Amino acid sequence: MTAPTRVETPRWTGQNYPRKEDRRLLTGQGRYVDDRGMIRQGYAHFVRSPYAHARIVSIDTSKLENMTGVYCTLVGEEVKEMTDPLFQIAPPPGGNMVEYLMAVDKVRYQGEPVAVVLAETRELARDAADLVEVKYEPLPPVTDAIAAQEPDAPILHDEVGTNVSWQGTYEYGDIDWALSEADHVVKIDKLHFHRFSSTPIECFGVVVNWDRGTDTIEVISNNQMPMFGAMMIAPSLRIGIDRFEFVSQDIGGGFGIKINLYKQTGVLALLSRKAGRPVKWVETRTEHHLDGGHGNERWFLDIEVPVMADGTILGVKARAIDDAGAYLHYEPLGAVIWSQVLPGCYKMRHFRIDYSQSLTNKCPTVPNRGYSRMQHLWMLERIVDVVAHELGFDPVEIRKRNYVQPEDYPYETPNGCVYDSGNLPLSLDKALELVDYPKWRERQKEAEGTTKRIGIGIGSTLDSGTNNFGQSRIINRELPFSGNGEAAICKLDLYGEVSVALGTTPQGQGHETTAAQVVADILGITPEEVTVIPGFDQARNSYVGFSGTYASQFAVTGINAVIGAANKLKAEMVELAALVLGASEEEIELAEGHARVIGDPERAIPFIGLANMVYTNNAELPTEVAERISLNCRHVYVPPFDPPDPDRKYGNLTLTYASQIHVAVVEVDTETGKVEVLDYAAVDDCGTRINPQIVEGQVHGAAAHGIAAALREEMRYDEDGQLLNANFLYYHAPSAADMPHIKTDWVESPSPFTGTGAKGMGEGGGAPLHAICSAIQDALGTDVPIVADSFNPPERVYRLLHGEGLGAGRGVEVVAKGGS
Amino acid sequence: MDRSDTFDIEFTLNGEAVAATVPARRLLIHFLRDDLDLTGPKIGCDTGHCGACTVLYNGRTIKSCMMLAVQADGATIETVEALAADGEMTPVQQAFHEHHALQCGYCTSGMVMSATYLLEKNPSPSPEEIREGLRGNLCRCTGYVNIVEAVAAAAGKETSA
Amino acid sequence: MILAPVEYCRPDTVDEAVEALNSSPDARALAGGQSLINVLKMRAAAVDLLVDISRLEELKGIVRHDDGTLEIGAGVTYAELAESDLLGGDPRAIAEVAADTVDPQVRHRGTIGGNVCHADPINNFPPLMVALGATMHVVGPDGAARDIPAEEFFTGFFTTAVEDGELLKSITVPALADGTAVGYVDLEIGEAAARAVAVVRTEDDQIAEAKLVIGCLPVPTRRPEVEAALVGTAVTEAAVAEATAAAADGVEPLSDADATAEYRKAVIPVVAKRAVLAAAKGGHRG
Repeated sequence: MTAPTRVETPRWTGQNYPRKEDRRLLTGQGRYVDDRGMIRQGYAHFVRSPYAHARIVSIDTSKLENMTGVYCTLVGEEVKEMTDPLFQIAPPPGGNMVEYLMAVDKVRYQGEPVAVVLAETRELARDAADLVEVKYEPLPPVTDAIAAQEPDAPILHDEVGTNVSWQGTYEYGDIDWALSEADHVVKIDKLHFHRFSSTPIECFGVVVNWDRGTDTIEVISNNQMPMFGAMMIAPSLRIGIDRFEFVSQDIGGGFGIKINLYKQTGVLALLSRKAGRPVKWVETRTEHHLDGGHGNERWFLDIEVPVMADGTILGVKARAIDDAGAYLHYEPLGAVIWSQVLPGCYKMRHFRIDYSQSLTNKCPTVPNRGYSRMQHLWMLERIVDVVAHELGFDPVEIRKRNYVQPEDYPYETPNGCVYDSGNLPLSLDKALELVDYPKWRERQKEAEGTTKRIGIGIGSTLDSGTNNFGQSRIINRELPFSGNGEAAICKLDLYGEVSVALGTTPQGQGHETTAAQVVADILGITPEEVTVIPGFDQARNSYVGFSGTYASQFAVTGINAVIGAANKLKAEMVELAALVLGASEEEIELAEGHARVIGDPERAIPFIGLANMVYTNNAELPTEVAERISLNCRHVYVPPFDPPDPDRKYGNLTLTYASQIHVAVVEVDTETGKVEVLDYAAVDDCGTRINPQIVEGQVHGAAAHGIAAALREEMRYDEDGQLLNANFLYYHAPSAADMPHIKTDWVESPSPFTGTGAKGMGEGGGAPLHAICSAIQDALGTDVPIVADSFNPPERVYRLLHGEGLGAGRGVEVVAKGGS
Repeated sequence: MDRSDTFDIEFTLNGEAVAATVPARRLLIHFLRDDLDLTGPKIGCDTGHCGACTVLYNGRTIKSCMMLAVQADGATIETVEALAADGEMTPVQQAFHEHHALQCGYCTSGMVMSATYLLEKNPSPSPEEIREGLRGNLCRCTGYVNIVEAVAAAAGKETSA
Repeated sequence: MILAPVEYCRPDTVDEAVEALNSSPDARALAGGQSLINVLKMRAAAVDLLVDISRLEELKGIVRHDDGTLEIGAGVTYAELAESDLLGGDPRAIAEVAADTVDPQVRHRGTIGGNVCHADPINNFPPLMVALGATMHVVGPDGAARDIPAEEFFTGFFTTAVEDGELLKSITVPALADGTAVGYVDLEIGEAAARAVAVVRTEDDQIAEAKLVIGCLPVPTRRPEVEAALVGTAVTEAAVAEATAAAADGVEPLSDADATAEYRKAVIPVVAKRAVLAAAKGGHRG
C-alpha cells in the first residue's frame, strides 16, 4: 500500500479560500433536515419516561384509536415483535444486553422513549402523545458509576447480571518497578471528569419513508455517521443495508453526538411502514438533552505517580471507572479509544490502568468532541500539575522535560501507537508568548493577598485522528473491524464539468471547500470550477462502512479519497488526451480547463472535448481506451494499518497526532469562587494545512467547547436520576458575551504518513478543561485541596478555598523515597 | 378583536403583503417555517435562548419562537431571506463569508439578523459592544472569535480583542 | 415546544383587557411573552385565554411628574426603558438594569410589568422596585384600582398581590434624595444566583441612610438590621463588610443545579457588601 501522490506546486491547497458553502447558509437557503419533508408525511412525537428506572406495567393507546388526524401509534412490545435486538459491540457480560429500538418492559433513564405517535400535524401529534397512558412501577435508580459497581446496587439489565459493562487492564512497562525506584511517589485519591455535551444548536431530525412499492427506506436525517447507523439498525429491522438510502445535506453541528441518531431512525422507519406514509420527526431541545446523548463521565481513583528527583515522570498507575449511562451506544469503544493517547504528550513508559465501565440510570453516552481521549488527557494534565505543585517544579519546565521531543518522532508509545510528528516545546513557547506569560506572572505576584487571585494554566493535548478500528478487537476480539478509510468519486461530466461526491457528512467543517481546493490543484482548474455535491447520499455510492464526519479524520481519510479519485480521473484524461493529441502521456498537462501538450499550447483539447468523446461521441473514442475509461472515478483511501494485538492491547491505533497546546489566564474571586478567563491562547499543530482559516475556526470552536465545559456546562442528575438542566434555561451554553477572545497561532509539523502532510484535527483534546483546571490550581496554591473535578463552577471553587475537596484531606499525598 | 382559537391576520413579510389564517397557539416561527415555507429562521431550543429564530419585528430583533403568529397581525416582519433579496450579499453577510464567521450555519440566519440590527443602532461598536449585542444568539461552532471580527469588519473596523 | 390549545384576544383598552381577564377562569395577560410563552410551551400552567396587552397605548408611557416621581407604564419594554431620555437622571439604575436585561431580542419584547408580575426569583426588577420604594398601580373590574407598595407586592415564589382578573397598569418610583445612589450587584452562574440592591445616602464619607434588598430569593427581602447597622458606617470595604456580614441571616435561598442554598447564603453578604459600596461610591452596577 502506498501513500497517495503528493500534490505538486499547489496553487489552491494551503490558501484561505473562502468557503463554497457559505452563500447558501448566509442567505437562509441551507437545507437542514427540518427544512425538508415528503408528500403525505405525518409528524411523530415520542412518549418518554418520566422515571430514571421503572418497570413498564402497561401502555394504553386506546384514547387515540378513533381520534381524527392520528394515523397510528407504536409501542415497545410491537417493536420487539417486529425486530431483533441491536448488535452489541461489547463481549459478555455487557454484550449479553438485550436492547431493542425502543424500551420494552423497563425504562432505564429519564426521557427514554416508550411509545411514538404519528399524526397529521405537529400540534396533533404533541396533543395526542399526552393521551397515551403509561403505568410505571418505579425502581430504585443508580446514578453514580462507583456505586453502580457495589454488590447491592440495583441492576439495570438483568441479562447482563452486573452493572459493569466492560473491564480490562492496560499494563505496559513495569509500573511496580517504577513506583519502587522513583524518588517520589505522588498519590491522588480521586479525580472526576464531568458529564457534558457540546449541544449542537440543531437537534436531531429524521424524515423517513418505508416505501411499500420498492421495500426501500429513504432516510433524510442529520446523522453524522450514517453507515454506522445503517450497520446497527439493518440487522435489527431484518433487512439488508441495500434497502436504505441515507441522505443529508446541511447539518447544524454534530460534535459526535449525532452518531447517536439510529435507534430513533429505526423506530420511525417501522412507524412509516405501519402507517404507510412518510414520517417526520424533529427533536426538541429538551428531548435532546434528555435523550440525544452526553459525553462520557469518568472517575480516576487511587492514582500513583512515580517521579524522579529531576522531575521526570515515569508513568501512572490508576483505576478508571467510566460512566456509560443506561445503554452501550458506540460504547464500550471508549474503553480502548482513550489508549490512543496513553502517555499523552509525555515520554512516560510505565502504566497500569485498570479500566472498567459502569451502566447507570442516565442518558447513554456517545462520542463527544475529544471522545474518551480528553478524559484521559485531563487526568494526565492534572497529574503533571499536581506533581509540579506538590514537588515544587515549574509547570512549564516539568512539561518541557517530559514532553516527547521534536527529535523523537516518529515516537512509539508503550502500547505501540506511533506519534507521527510534532514540536511540543515550540508550541508551548508560542502559546506562552501569545498571552505574554512573564507579564501575567508579574500580575499574579501583585495580586497576592487580594481577593482577586490570578492563575496561569497549561493544557497539552493530542488530537489523535484516523482511528484504526482494529482497536475494537482489544474490547472484543470477535469483532470483524480493522483499519479505516473513506470513499470519494471525482468525475468529468458531459459538458466538461468537474464534480466530486464525498462519503462524509460535514457539519460545518467546510468539506466542499477543501475538497475543491485539492481537486483544483490536480486538474489545473479553480475551486470555483469544481462542484462538490453538498451532503451525503447513499445512492451516490460514495461511501464505505467508516464513512461520516467524526474523530478528526477528514483531512486524512476524506481528502486522500478525493485526491485518489481526482488522480484517477486525471490519469484517464491524460491518457485520452495523449491519444487524441498524438503525444506521450508525459507530455500532457492539465491547465486552464484544457489538456495540452507542454510547451505547445496550440495542441490542446478542452475538458468538454474529452467528455464529449466518452459520453456522447464514442464512435470517435480511441479504441485503446473504449470500455476502460469512464471519466467517473471512485477511490477508496485505505490508511496503512495492521490489526492490533488484543492480547497485549498493543498496536498503532491512530494514524496521525495533531497537537494543541493551550494557555489560560484566570482570575479567581476568592469571595465567591467565580472564575473569569482573562486571557486565552491556543497553538495548533496539525501538519500541513489545506485551508488555514478553516483549521483556525476548528481551533476556536474546540477551545470554546472546552472553556464552556470547564466553567459553565454540566449535565447534572439528582439522586433520583432526574436531569436538572434539560434545556438552555438551565444548561448554560455561552453567548459571545460570556466568552473570552481566543488567541491562536500554529506550528506546522507535516505528517510523514498521510501523503499530504496533513493531519486530522478539530477535536482539540479537551485542552481548555486541562488549562483552566491548571490555572485555577495555580491561583489557589497548595494550601487547599487539589482541583479534582473538571467542572469548576463558583461553588466548587469556593468550597476548595474553604478546604472542601473531592478526596480525603487535600486529596493528594507525596511519599518521598530514601536517597532522594 | 374577539376571543377565538383561530384568526385571520395580515402583515408585511419581507416587503410583501401576506394574509393567512392561523391557530391562536401557533408560534410565529412555526408559522413562518411550516405555513410560509420560509425556512431561513431556525429552531434550536425550546426556551428562547438560542436566537436561531431571530427576525425583525417592526424593525427590531425578536425571537420568533417567543411570539404567537397572531401577534404578527398588522406588523412588518423581515427574515434573513430579505437581506440579499437582490442577489448581492449585504456587508454583514459578505464579512461573515470573508472572515469564516460561520461553520455549520444553523445559527447564522439569526446571527446575521442580530449583527445587522446591531450595526444599524451602533455603526462602530467596540468588540465588547459586539459581544453584548449578540448575547441573544448562541453559536456552538465558532467560539464567536470570527463572528466578532466579521461584525467589526462590516463596521469598517479592525479588531484584535 | 407546541402550546396546548388556547384562545386569544387583543382588546383595545385597559378596561376591555380587564373585562377579558374576568371572562375566563384561566385567562392570562400576555404582555411581552418572554416568560409566559415559555410557561405555555412547557405546558406548565393551565391557560384558556391569552389577553394580549402588548399593544395597549395606555400601558406604554414613561412620565416624569413635577415632584420627580417617575411613572412607568406596565407595558414599557426594557429597550424603551434603556433608551428613555427621562431615565437619564435619577434613578438611572432603572435604565441600567433594563439595558442589562437578558439580551437585545428579549429587551425588544419583554416589559417591566411582565417582569414584576411573573415574579421569578431570578428576575431583576423585583428587588430593584422594592429598594426604590416603588408603588404598583393595579386595576380591576368595574373601574376598581388599588396601589400596592412594592414591598407588599411580591408575596411568594412566582406570586404577587395581583389577584385573578386584575392587571398591573403602572409603577411609580419616587425620586431619590440628594446624595443617594443605587448599587446593584449580581453573582451570575449562567443566570443570576445571588443579587443585592442597595440604596444609600452618604454624608461626609459616612453612610447616612441605607436600604438593602436581597434578590434571587422566593421574594425580594429587605434587611432592616443590616440597614440599621450601615447607618454611620464609614465607606470602607472593611466597615461595610462588617455591617453586611449578617445579610443572609434568616433568609432561605433556593438550591438548584447551579448552586446550593448553603453556598448562596455564604455569598449573599459578599454581593450585599459590593452593592452597598457601589451605591456609596456614587452608584454603579456590577
